[in-house]
Formats: sequence, structure tokens, C-alpha cells
Amino acid sequence: MKPIIKRFLRDKRAITPVLSSLLLTVVAVAAMAIATSATYVITTNLRENMSERVIVEDVWFNSATRTVDVYMHNIGKVAIRVSGVYINHTSQPFNSPFRLELNAHDWLSIAYSWNSGDLYYIDVVTSRGTHVASYYQAP
Amino acid sequence: MLQAITRRLRRGKRGISTVIVVMLSLVLMVIIVGNVVLWSYQMNQLDWEKMREDVAIVNATSVRDGGTLFTFKNEGSLTLHLVSLWINNSTQHQRYNINIFINSGDTASYTYSNVTLPDKPYNVKVITERGNTAVFASD
Repeated sequence: MKPIIKRFLRDKRAITPVLSSLLLTVVAVAAMAIATSATYVITTNLRENMSERVIVEDVWFNSATRTVDVYMHNIGKVAIRVSGVYINHTSQPFNSPFRLELNAHDWLSIAYSWNSGDLYYIDVVTSRGTHVASYYQAP
Repeated sequence: MLQAITRRLRRGKRGISTVIVVMLSLVLMVIIVGNVVLWSYQMNQLDWEKMREDVAIVNATSVRDGGTLFTFKNEGSLTLHLVSLWINNSTQHQRYNINIFINSGDTASYTYSNVTLPDKPYNVKVITERGNTAVFASD
């Protein structure tokens, strides 16, 4: 038994093909892992972008606070985060960070000095790029 | 003849890696595209259902014992789920959580003892789970 083991340990032939095969296997497995992770990330991003649905339930030109309050409702399949609010295409400050979980709803308060009777184009943009925009007339 | 071809195919190892890479890439592509297409189909289904929804507020009147009687009509072909009720006037925008299901073509009346109609003019608004809105304006 001993001579067999000794011969096996001394024999250095065919080491290179074994090593190269092993290396190739490791590289192939790593490449597949990267490709699978990339696939997961890409499909998740696409799915999340497609799943965003948010509506504006109500817009209140609040004369007491002199703000424009927008009641948002997340009716999609992913949580949303509002990244920007534009009134007449100009960015406005709001109660940031504004985040809505699935089926959640809340007031988005925009600090804006509005005038009675004027028409405003309010555009709410989420972090994934979804726009909820429409014209609203101040009472 | 056939034997010779088979033997040559067994011996010839060139191009195997290319074939494997192409097959793996194809599998990844099918996973990505399949995932996105299926999700897109599901979201399209939701949008399509939202378009088919048609809700109307037939009437909103104060009742003698206190509270308000609302009559809703489902004029669409899908069952409605009403999730929120708004009573708005120039000074107050008040939201109430509701949970009403109305079958297609049905008219349903509900009395809410905690809802009081303000002085005219006011708007009553109802929001469905799919994100559609019906508005009833006082005279």
C-alpha cells in the first residue's frame, strides 16, 4: 500500500491539465454567478419600474398654511419614494423624505405661494422616474 | 458512412465551449425576457381593469338622525372596491377610510354617522382600490 502512495506522490505528470481544468471550472462558475446576479438585478429593476402605480387622490390649495397639499396613494406593487416635485416646471421644496409603502397614502405638502384662480401644473416624480402630473386650478 | 460521421463527431472537441456559452447565454436571455414579459402582462392586466372601472356617486344627503347617506353606482363591468371618501369645501378637505364592494351594475347606499356634510358648495369624492375617482358636486 505504501509504495503505491509514494509513487502517486512522486509522480508529477498530468498535473498541469488537472490544474487548468480546475481553474477553468472556477472561472466558469464565477462567470455564471456574475451573470446570474446581473440577471437578477436587471429583472428586479425592470419589474420595480413597471410596478409603480401612484395616484393623486386630492389636491388642496391650503389657505391656512399657504401650501399646496397633495394626497398621494400608492396603488402599485412596490414602495415608492418621491424624489422631486415641480410646479409649473420649477422644482419646489416638499416634506422630504416622502415614502409610501404598498397601499399606503399620505399628504405631500409643497411649500408654494399660490394665487387664487391661477392654474398650476403639478408634477410629482418618484425615484424610479414615474411622473404623476396634471393641471389644478387654485380656488 | 454513418459510423464514420459519429466517430468524427465524438473525436472532434472543437467548438464545444462556444456551444455551451451560447446555450447558457440563451437560457439567461430567456429568463430575463420571460420574467419581464410575464410581469408586464400582469401590470397591463391591472391597467386594463382600471380602464374598465366606472363608478358614480348618485347622491349624498344628510340624514335626520345625524350622518350622511351616500348612494354609489357601479356602471362598469367589474366589481368595485371603494377605499376612500373625501368631503371637500373651500376650507376643509377631509378623508374617510371606507371599505365597500359593489357588484357590476349595482347601486348601493350607505349611511356614515361620522360624516357630516359642510355648508354648500362642497364636493364629495370617492376613490376605488384601482385608483379611479368619482365626484359629486353640491348645487
